[in-house]
Amino acid sequence: MVSARGLERIYGEGEASVQALDGVDVDFDHGLFTSIMGPSGSGKSTLMHILAGLDRPTAGAVQIDGVEITDLDDADLTQLRRDKLGFVFQFFNLLPVLTAEENVVLPLTIARRKPDQEWVDQLMETVGLADRKTHRPAELSGGQQQRVAIARARVTRPSVLFADEPPGNLDAESSHQVLQLLRSAVDEFGQTVIMVTHEPDAAAHGDRLIALRDGRLVHDAPPVSADAVIELLKTLG
Amino acid sequence: MLGLTLKSLLARKWRSAMTALAVVFGIALVAGTYVLTDTTNQAFDEIFVKSNEKIDVTITGRERVDQPDGSVPAFSDRYLDEVRAVDGVSDAAGSVFTPGSILNDKGKSTGAPFAPQFISSVLPARLEALNYVEGRPPRKPNEAALDEAAAERGGLRVGDTIRLVGTGAALPYRLVGLTRLGSASFGGSSISQVTLPVAQRITGKRGEFDQISVAGKDSVSPEELKRRVAAVLPESLLVETGTENAERQASDVRDGLSFLTIALFAFGAISLFVGSFVIFNVFSITVAQRTREFGMLRTLGASRRQILRNVLVEGLVIGLVASVFGVLVGIGLAEGLSALLSGFGIDLPGNSLVVVPRTVIVSFLIGVGVTLVSSMIPAFRATRVPPIAALSEDILQAGGTRLWIRGLVSFVLGVAGVALIAWVLVGNIEGGAGAARIGAGAVCLVVSIAIFSPRLIQPLVRVIGWPIARFGGLTGKLARENSLRTPARTAVTSAALMIGIALVAFVTIFASGLNSSVTDVIAQNVRGQIILQGPGGFVEIPPEAVRDAEVVQGVEAASGVRYTQARVPRAGGTAVASVDPRSVDRVLEIDLVEGTQADLRALAPGRAVIGQKLADEAGLGLGDRFRPLTKTGRRPELEVTAIMASGNLDFLGEVVVSETQMDRDFGVKADFFGFVRVKPGENVEKVKDRISRTLDRPYPTVEVLNQDELEQRQREQINAILALIYVLLALAVVVSLVGIVVTLILSIYERTRELGMLRAVGMSRRQVKRMIRFEAVITAVLGASAGLVLGIIFAFLMGIPLEGEGFVLSYPIPTLLAILVLSALAGVLASVYPARKAARLDVLEAISYE
Repeated sequence: MVSARGLERIYGEGEASVQALDGVDVDFDHGLFTSIMGPSGSGKSTLMHILAGLDRPTAGAVQIDGVEITDLDDADLTQLRRDKLGFVFQFFNLLPVLTAEENVVLPLTIARRKPDQEWVDQLMETVGLADRKTHRPAELSGGQQQRVAIARARVTRPSVLFADEPPGNLDAESSHQVLQLLRSAVDEFGQTVIMVTHEPDAAAHGDRLIALRDGRLVHDAPPVSADAVIELLKTLG
Repeated sequence: MLGLTLKSLLARKWRSAMTALAVVFGIALVAGTYVLTDTTNQAFDEIFVKSNEKIDVTITGRERVDQPDGSVPAFSDRYLDEVRAVDGVSDAAGSVFTPGSILNDKGKSTGAPFAPQFISSVLPARLEALNYVEGRPPRKPNEAALDEAAAERGGLRVGDTIRLVGTGAALPYRLVGLTRLGSASFGGSSISQVTLPVAQRITGKRGEFDQISVAGKDSVSPEELKRRVAAVLPESLLVETGTENAERQASDVRDGLSFLTIALFAFGAISLFVGSFVIFNVFSITVAQRTREFGMLRTLGASRRQILRNVLVEGLVIGLVASVFGVLVGIGLAEGLSALLSGFGIDLPGNSLVVVPRTVIVSFLIGVGVTLVSSMIPAFRATRVPPIAALSEDILQAGGTRLWIRGLVSFVLGVAGVALIAWVLVGNIEGGAGAARIGAGAVCLVVSIAIFSPRLIQPLVRVIGWPIARFGGLTGKLARENSLRTPARTAVTSAALMIGIALVAFVTIFASGLNSSVTDVIAQNVRGQIILQGPGGFVEIPPEAVRDAEVVQGVEAASGVRYTQARVPRAGGTAVASVDPRSVDRVLEIDLVEGTQADLRALAPGRAVIGQKLADEAGLGLGDRFRPLTKTGRRPELEVTAIMASGNLDFLGEVVVSETQMDRDFGVKADFFGFVRVKPGENVEKVKDRISRTLDRPYPTVEVLNQDELEQRQREQINAILALIYVLLALAVVVSLVGIVVTLILSIYERTRELGMLRAVGMSRRQVKRMIRFEAVITAVLGASAGLVLGIIFAFLMGIPLEGEGFVLSYPIPTLLAILVLSALAGVLASVYPARKAARLDVLEAISYE
């Protein structure tokens, strides 16, 4: 369970300062797929960065599974990432020198943990790449690469999986597959997913949609349909 | 993680190989120097141990005053009887072993130009170490033996005639035997044996020995025998066991060669230092390019230490690979170095190459150490990449160090560098300690410049790139802007070249100064138009040659000059010269501060002319008396009758005495130079020819030169050394060019998309090539001009304390400009491969490049 209280984030100083977050309170329950939306400059990326411990708020607090993370030092944050967080990036960020399976178990390799082979096999099966284990990223399509990235994010069974525009660089078909994979992780394994996106279609896959504008939370409800999301975005400008 | 590191290293094979190459040369030079000196030392150890195999105790003259040629005084043969009478001595014999010349019947030298040749006497078989592989030892006065290798070099066989030259005329001897010393090699040097009386006569040591060798009875240990022998001999003689003597001689040779070792190590260090700049740059660029990767690893839970280790392990592996190749190349290089040195007249003995574990261990420590240290800063920069870098679309550059920290570090290093160099210059620290401090000081200075130079790059590149931007069209403008894009990168790349060029400029200026100083000294001090000297000006000539020259038709006067070292109270080791008072004022021009030319003509034993410097140091004035300690252990009393100007590169030392005194008290019996004054109205060249003809048969080793030829010889010698230094510095310059190549290729890789765009909007392949070429030229010229300026400053500073010695700097402007042009051409050369790579980029692929 992730919980944020009174989050503020100001970039820069004096005249040139920008208030990216302006008092955000939000909780993310276990086993829920939440999409964060908002026009550019709304603070949606900043919110995710702070929730994931990648950036520090100017004021406010974030707890993950009851642990206050905003004042953790680098070593503790590293440990937190190993134990509780998973990431899926817009640009896949796979290591070209490793095979698909090696990329998947990379977080365990880094943490010097022994991979649970059954779980790894199951993940490769789930993302539909059981027959591509020994392929290198260059031999995979964009969609396949992103599916490897999802398996990698899940291999440590994290408390929260953060996804940053996961379908960003993909065609419609692959994009749909990737979102379906996130959806099934939530449905079948009770995985908590927090996703930043600007695509209404993507947001429609979630259980909950929150929207920001000018650093404030302006919408928080389950998404009805992609069209409804489009309408919502229009109102936000 | 280790597997990942190795895999990603392997994926960048090409880059890693170039990085390794940057230190391979330096390691090879270090390893090669070790192998060469170990091989040489082992050969000398073998020579000396073998020579003393049958000898229990040796007696030699004790060295009183260090001589430049390391010679020790001979001693009277009357001690032999006293030694023979010692209880426990079974056999004792005196011998002579003195440098001389060994010629074939036609008067041509049998060895390499500068290789040492020795004339020695035969010992009784009970003590003799040389084996006769052919013939027998000389028994009659007209017989001689020669070492097998020298005979082979000179094409000589038993029954042939050889001629030997010591302090007198060359006399013929019949070759009756060929010798060998076990399996030891003498390198380029050779030994001829004659009977003892003959050896004493040839070398001017009648009634004297260089050594007495003693064999003891079996019942007495060498140590005990040494004690007994020493008890009957005066303090002026050194008594050692055969083993001690061999060890001392070996260590003397080692000390004598240490300048060579230090010099070679210094060039290795320079090359490694330049290499470390290249490694630093490659790692910095690689770390910058991998920013997103490091960010991603951090989001997956990698700790800072893991990132640090990742980069450092790459450094470690590259260092290891470089060390392996460095040692292998170094072993090969030892052969090459040996050949190179013998090409310059330094012939070292050696059989098979000696590679000891220390050579390999030190090479590896240096290789890995330099690579690790150079990759340290980039590695720490990698740890500062925040995890968020994985999410950002633009590649974030990890923050650089703050300006004031840079400024402070640069300033502190600069001050430390100047202080270290000044310490050596002011404190007069000599040898390895001095060289090490100068080196450390120079390193501090250069690093200081490199740290601060990114600030200077902007204006410098603007100026240097101006002609290129002005006349090179768009490609020229783009090239200049590209060089400015990452000033730190350009700075480090050109700093690497700067180091090599600074040293090239420094030695060029210094050699040029030395050349013109020598010319000045000869022009100002020598009135004689014709000069006699030994082979290459390294060996003394028989005084009889000068006397014979004096009676040649058309000669007004001829006078010899001899040199030695003596110790003057309150001044220490001092160079002493002798002149012939009868003719000194006609062949030499001595600038007197006090006293007159008449005092020179009246220079008799007991009188001396001293230099202004010595007068100041030792507090001596006209009429004062002093007692210098000579190499033979005497202390003649000398009265100062005139004071001359100091400087002149110690042409006449600081003390001038008469020839008679030199002969009697300083123990020098041969001339170093002979100066000949031609009668007015005579044609100098004709007189010179007459002298040559007169001296040719009896004194074939004497060179007869006019002043221009003498200057020419001096220049040739200086230039030969200069050439050797150039070859060794070339290694450092090549390394810095490798740096330019790698940096260009890496920046092309970074700019793939941009290059694709330029091609897409119509830039031709040729234009792309030209742009890259211009970039390389800007970097090269930047480094070269900085190097030239630095070299000139260093030479100027180093020249200041030497001014008192008569050393005058001169700046060979055309040569320096040529260095600049050559550097620009080297830049073009360095750009060939990167330019071709950039021009070959596929436009479509480049644009969609991720």
